[in-house]
Amino acid sequence: MKKIIVAQNVIKTFEEEQEKNRVLNDVSLFIEEGEFVSVMGPSGSGKSTLLYALSGMDRVDEGQIYFGDMELSKMTEKELSRLRLTKMGFVFQQAAMLKNLNLLDNIILPSIHENKKNAKHILEKARSLMEQLGIGELINRDITKVSGGQLQRAGICRALLNHPQIIFGDEPTGALNSQSAEEIMNIFKIINEDGTTIMLVTHDAKVAARTKRVLYMQDGMIVAEQKLSKYNGKNLKERVSAVTNKLREIGI
Amino acid sequence: MYFRIIRNDLKKSKLISTTMLLFVSISAMLLSLAMILIVNLFGSINMMMTKAKTPHFMQMHDGSIDLERLSTFAEGIDYVEDFQVASFLNIDGSDMIFGENLLTDSAQDNGVTTQNSSFDYLLDLDENVIEVSDGEVYVPICYWKDGTIKLNDVAVIAGKSFVVAGFLRDSQMNSTLSSSKRFLVSQNDYASMQTNAGLEYLIEFRLNDISKLSAFEEAYTTAGLEANGPTITYPLIRILNAISDGMVIGILLLISVLTVIISLLCLRFTLLAKMEEDYREIGVMKAIGLSISDMKRIYLAKYVLITFLGCMLGFLLSMAEKGYVLENIRLYMGGSGIEELSILLGAIGILLIFVIMTLYVNHILSRFREISAVKAIRFELETQQTNAGKRFILSRFYTMPSCLFLAIKDILAKKKLYRTMFLVIIFATFVFVVPQNIYYTISQKSFISYMGIGDSDVRIDLQQVSEISKKALEIQKVIDKDPNISNYAVLTTKNFTVKLLDQTQKSIKVELGNHLIFPIQYQEGKAPESENEIALSVLNSDDLGVKLGDTMSLIVDNKEKSMQICGIYSDITNGGKTAKAAFSDDSAKTMWCVIVTKLIETSLIDNKVAELKEAFPYAKVTGMEAYIKDTFGQTRKAMKTAGIGSALIAVIIIFFITLLFMKMLVSKDQYSIALKKSIGFTNQDMIKEYFICSFLIAMFGIIAGILLSNTLGEELARQAISAFGASTFRFARNKVMTYLISPLIMLMAAMGASWLGTCKVSEIKIAERIKE
Repeated sequence: MKKIIVAQNVIKTFEEEQEKNRVLNDVSLFIEEGEFVSVMGPSGSGKSTLLYALSGMDRVDEGQIYFGDMELSKMTEKELSRLRLTKMGFVFQQAAMLKNLNLLDNIILPSIHENKKNAKHILEKARSLMEQLGIGELINRDITKVSGGQLQRAGICRALLNHPQIIFGDEPTGALNSQSAEEIMNIFKIINEDGTTIMLVTHDAKVAARTKRVLYMQDGMIVAEQKLSKYNGKNLKERVSAVTNKLREIGI
Repeated sequence: MYFRIIRNDLKKSKLISTTMLLFVSISAMLLSLAMILIVNLFGSINMMMTKAKTPHFMQMHDGSIDLERLSTFAEGIDYVEDFQVASFLNIDGSDMIFGENLLTDSAQDNGVTTQNSSFDYLLDLDENVIEVSDGEVYVPICYWKDGTIKLNDVAVIAGKSFVVAGFLRDSQMNSTLSSSKRFLVSQNDYASMQTNAGLEYLIEFRLNDISKLSAFEEAYTTAGLEANGPTITYPLIRILNAISDGMVIGILLLISVLTVIISLLCLRFTLLAKMEEDYREIGVMKAIGLSISDMKRIYLAKYVLITFLGCMLGFLLSMAEKGYVLENIRLYMGGSGIEELSILLGAIGILLIFVIMTLYVNHILSRFREISAVKAIRFELETQQTNAGKRFILSRFYTMPSCLFLAIKDILAKKKLYRTMFLVIIFATFVFVVPQNIYYTISQKSFISYMGIGDSDVRIDLQQVSEISKKALEIQKVIDKDPNISNYAVLTTKNFTVKLLDQTQKSIKVELGNHLIFPIQYQEGKAPESENEIALSVLNSDDLGVKLGDTMSLIVDNKEKSMQICGIYSDITNGGKTAKAAFSDDSAKTMWCVIVTKLIETSLIDNKVAELKEAFPYAKVTGMEAYIKDTFGQTRKAMKTAGIGSALIAVIIIFFITLLFMKMLVSKDQYSIALKKSIGFTNQDMIKEYFICSFLIAMFGIIAGILLSNTLGEELARQAISAFGASTFRFARNKVMTYLISPLIMLMAAMGASWLGTCKVSEIKIAERIKE
């Protein structure tokens, strides 16, 4: 399989009140095309920072990160924006939406911004995606008038609309109740089965158990890695216990 | 503790505090300057007119004079305090040489006179009555100001040599708006120069009681005394002396009121923004039981401090600037003797600003009551963004560039916020455009038509010469054949007696001729066309107590002629009391005659003036441009300075308000900026969005400001310029300047500030704003 993301010896330090804090400490990893990867770890382990670094939203101090054959540190802000716009999709914990746009406008904004000529096609596709994700009737709704789960689905629609090669999710179910979280994970599964690479950051074993490979992080380092058996809709319990056992094993 | 809180707060909001400080100090400075100017202007005028003992009534007279009859008349009226007849010898400009300069091009009626013995003194620059020695000449101050004549220049006046020993203030004729200028020489020199040609008398009276002035005027006219020339009274002299500086004061007042309004708008805006920012904290303070007045005090203290410092700074600036703005008044009229009072009044004006602003802040802060503690803590900020523009959606307007779409959407969503910036830009545009339009209007040649003078190219005056009618005919014959003169009119002024309904009689000067060729602007009605129509100047119609449509009897050739008043116009010429009619008359004596001409090409004016001067040495030939320059030059210059100053202030205001807004927007929008970056928007996209926002607001603000300037501004300017006696005028606009250059300058200021205010967008880190 072709590697979509490669990180080599990545170091990132935050300076807070003159105290240096190494959040990413010599991290190396790769993600292959079509993979469904999760990064697990407690708060402050550096998992979100890792996600922002891999997606080019944050610069690192040392080491290299490649997206395909492009090295992110050598790209300008403008090129990185373009990369995010055309090749990546993002789903955040709190569905990050612009308050003064309605749901549909929020979803189509990046795609229309990138490709005005295809606007009609984008609109059609957005509508059908919303339909598929069960928010078809909320098209003109204000974002303050929908539930968290619905907002998160809209966030996924936005991430999918540009045919990204990879979707990054930063605790995408973190603010949802268990039923909504379950539904969102089902959506991710379908997207992944359609060939889109997904990388999620989570501290929820249930979420990690739905992915195919789990990376465990602690104190800015990847301390373990675990491949999970194929998920068939019934073996979730085993998978969750496999994850929790691993957590216990490495002492997280 | 307050001090510490305020200090920390000021440190955090440097830009806001600086902007507020700047706006408050500008408005305080302008108001203080306006107050200082008003007090000093009127003080100086009073002082000068008191020291010079300006006559209360002055009749210029050209022709023979019966001194005995005048004395008897003066003695017969108990409230006449003093009476004198001064003589004034008109001298042609080409006969007045100072150093290397000739006064040929001067549009003023220059002449020599001697110092008066009992009143109407000519003063030196130390406000003393000048005592002039033989061989010395004292020169009107305006010639020093415009650089034509210098101290110790060797002068040759009517062939006689003099040395310029000093400059004089003439309380009556100081203003360039009054057309005569008196040069002072000694009795002996005057006696040796005296000829009958060009001799004119100033018949002057001082009254015990100035309130009896109109009764006196009536008595003088009824007595049928010498009246071959303009009549000037004390109040008119005062107006003439005050006009130039008065207009500057008007503009200063206008701008200071506007900047006060702008400062209030900014105060409101920054305070509300700050309260929104501190919403949660306010809630917490409320929850822990701090009273509203405690909280108010913290906010109030900061803004009161800024306002106080701004007022102090404004006061100091006005003290530093006052020398400059008072220069003209001091030069022309001398000290006022009440400078301390003026400073006190300036300070009171500033105090007023301080009180208004403090009360306003207090008023805004009463909103504290509306903040609910629970709501504030639980829900953070209640979003002020509205559902505005629900129909304006991207899925419908997808062809629009997304930055433009987002910009418009943002404006619609934050209407309240942008409204402040919009209003400030409107007012600033007003400050920029109105003084500029006033300046342009009074610089226009056509402006004189609002003041009783038709718009022509060259005028030929026949005054103080014998056989005026015959000479006028001579000139007419020549110019009639001149191919370069496209049009001309002969206007003859004669004295007639008016019989009013109550049988009282007054004498008025009527300018006869065709008034349609070089029309003036009529405040009401139109120019006289038929035999029985007459138009009156405002002062005359007030004086005679008649209005448009009334009839009055004019005694022409010993017969009563019924005349209908067809028009009322403003006039500053000949003491402001004039009349125009179209009938012809051979009975009355011609007082003076003016032949106004229009040339086929304005570039020919200078040559034509020279040519006519040579052909008719007895006539006074003036190019109208030169006339306007001489008459309004001083006012024009003052207005130009005022125009440039206010444009500068407007640009500063626009720059700072835009900068402040953009900075605030960027700091408010940090989350959405980060979000947009994360979904692929570049920094440039976002800066573009803000640029479009501020461009739209600035552009529409400027357009609205120009519209407002053209309507309300014109009305205000009308009030100001009506001091000239021109009460009906329209703005003359320099279209390129008003509609292109000025908006561009303001727009550039706004865009420059937008760039400065938004360039920090690139420093906003996605991870820091979005990461949980």
